Amino acid sequence: MPTAPALDISGIEKRFGEQRALADVGFHVPQSGIFGLLGPNGAGKTTLLRMLNGITAPDAGSISFFGEPLTRGHLPSIGYLPEERGLYKSMRVGEQALYFAQLRGLDKKEARERLRYWFDRLEVDGWWHKEVSEVSKGMAQKIQFILSVLHEPRLLILDEPLSGFDPINAQRIREVILELKAKGDTTILLSTHDMGSVEEMCDEVALLNRGQLVLNGKVPELREAARDGRYAVSFRDSVMGFTVALGASAELIEVNPNPEVPGEHVAMLRLPAESDIATWVRWISEKVELTSCMPWRPGMRDIFIRAVEQQNEPAA
Amino acid sequence: MNRLGLIIYREWITRVRRRAFIIGTLLVPVLLALGVGFGAWMENAEMEQNKVLVVDLSGMITFWDDTRQAYLPICPECFPKREHLQYRFADQALDDADFLLSDFTSMVLLDDAILQHGQAKNLYEKSPSITAQNAIERDLSSAIERFKVKEELSLDYETYKRLKTKVSLVGEDIVTKDGNATGRSLIGFVFSLFMFIQIMVYGMHVMRGVIEEKANRIVEVIISVVRPMELLAGKIIGIGLVGVTQVIALTVLGFLMFQVGGQALEMSGVLTSASNEAVELDFETWMASNDLLGFVLEVNWPLMVVCALVYFAAGFFMYAALFAAIGSAVEQESDAQYLMLPAMLPLLASYITAAMAIQNPEGQVAVIGSYVPLTAPILMLIRLPLGVAWWELALSLSGVIATAYGFVLVSARIFRTGILMHGKNITVRELFRWIRHD
Repeated sequence: MPTAPALDISGIEKRFGEQRALADVGFHVPQSGIFGLLGPNGAGKTTLLRMLNGITAPDAGSISFFGEPLTRGHLPSIGYLPEERGLYKSMRVGEQALYFAQLRGLDKKEARERLRYWFDRLEVDGWWHKEVSEVSKGMAQKIQFILSVLHEPRLLILDEPLSGFDPINAQRIREVILELKAKGDTTILLSTHDMGSVEEMCDEVALLNRGQLVLNGKVPELREAARDGRYAVSFRDSVMGFTVALGASAELIEVNPNPEVPGEHVAMLRLPAESDIATWVRWISEKVELTSCMPWRPGMRDIFIRAVEQQNEPAA
Repeated sequence: MNRLGLIIYREWITRVRRRAFIIGTLLVPVLLALGVGFGAWMENAEMEQNKVLVVDLSGMITFWDDTRQAYLPICPECFPKREHLQYRFADQALDDADFLLSDFTSMVLLDDAILQHGQAKNLYEKSPSITAQNAIERDLSSAIERFKVKEELSLDYETYKRLKTKVSLVGEDIVTKDGNATGRSLIGFVFSLFMFIQIMVYGMHVMRGVIEEKANRIVEVIISVVRPMELLAGKIIGIGLVGVTQVIALTVLGFLMFQVGGQALEMSGVLTSASNEAVELDFETWMASNDLLGFVLEVNWPLMVVCALVYFAAGFFMYAALFAAIGSAVEQESDAQYLMLPAMLPLLASYITAAMAIQNPEGQVAVIGSYVPLTAPILMLIRLPLGVAWWELALSLSGVIATAYGFVLVSARIFRTGILMHGKNITVRELFRWIRHD
């Protein structure tokens, strides 16, 4: 029997006055992976995340949570780290952590034990008795992250979880997220503009733009589908020599020095539709020193930009 | 503890443990004691000479002395010599014009009806001080009591107790014909003032709390766990309990100060009889005999404290809901100013009316104001020490409670939308749209 998706979002509509925030949005979030929710600012991501947290309700459509219609009763099974987040400045760190943990349904003793583990894990111990106003922004971010995972939710919603962290702490949080994924008990919904993180961590993504779903699928498949006949060709020669050798055999899109290998360049080019890549490689290798020739798969950044721009283009 | 309980506890504990709250609460009774002491000192320092004409129309307490060619009291010791108070006696009242031309500061009219209702009319051009009024009341009570005892042929102790009379002066300004209830309403005004301060201070706490949660973006996490209504209710109840905690702390502190201070004064031997300094008195007797402080003992304190708590709870809920709605609709405290003014107007109007009603607590404005829900929490308290019919209390309280309930419902609608709105100036039209939106 197939397992129900962690989230089954279907036909979601939401209006704020005259403004349509979400229009017929629907996708599945499979269990136990990391699902990326992408989109430019104002695309409707926060509105959708707020619906998942019971903060706002859709005007139309339905949301299922592990096979059941999503209700407020499911909220204790959801962890939420909003993009805009804060803590009570005049409360002590430990006291505040216990307060939020208890609001999430943990009893005080259990919350204290789990907090001890997480504070140690993310190196926040020693700050328990300090007031929040005394801790750094990064430390406060870590505390907020801990509060979203402390109750071991089935669905963890992270809205820009790495923003505000230095590279070391960002890596630490990234490791924790991947560890949660590896354990398999938590489904993670990651909303971010950091496409590097999406490629590194996400199994699937949904891209929203202007309140509509414009792209949805597994990351490797989307990248594969986005291929447009371009090849990345590395060579050891002058750019001029390569350009002359290339002639009209291919369309040269751009050439850049290879930052990893001194003296080497990487050219992005597209062959005519009737050309055979193997034949072309043999032909060009006689003229310049090729070191590699790989079909180019666009990154999520390119896919994101292309999808958004295509939708934003006025209809011809 | 459930979620509402957790929110209430957090709102309460984070405030009551603040140093400012503790110091403030401890300082209030000290400042009040200093204020009363200063007032007493000022009263004595600025005491004007009172010359009272007692007009004994029925000849109950005076007789005509041929040798001195004047009416004298049958019981001279009932009218002891006082520093700022002189009596003269007559069997006929002066007419208004003659009274105004005379050097009498007030004229007390007694007839045999006083034996039934215990009231004597006090006419004056300028209201006598509370101290002078208390002294006149005590002196006349004592003289009437003597008259009654004399009339009784076979007097035993029980009969004496039954006949014991207390005369209260029903004042009337001879020019304006206004009643005088200054002393009686002073306690009510203190309660009204305290209520005004409590509702303002803790109402502002609610507003600041909402703005803090909104500005710090804490609210997004909280309302993903609790309903906005729960958050609003928890906040109002929690902060309201801070106010109640302060009232209870002040009551206990006041009682302790009264007891400990009284014992200390008793032990120091400074409490002596006004008429005989050789006679040491206990604190309570001294208070009762003290011209300025005697009325403090005459107030029904348990009733006042209970009513103050009930009115505080209902009034606070009403205004706190309003302030919470304002807090949720703005980005920062400075933005709240223009919305605060209409919300605070009824409170300010109540306070000003209460201050004016010290002279006339049963005046039309104070009476109507004590029924109007927005002003009742403050104005009813000024009337309570004078005695208020149960139906008036029920009418006033039910109005306040119903309005508070309505305000909470309306505010919850503004609150649930407003707390998630950022970077936008909210118009009044939008506020009404939020209220209508279900």
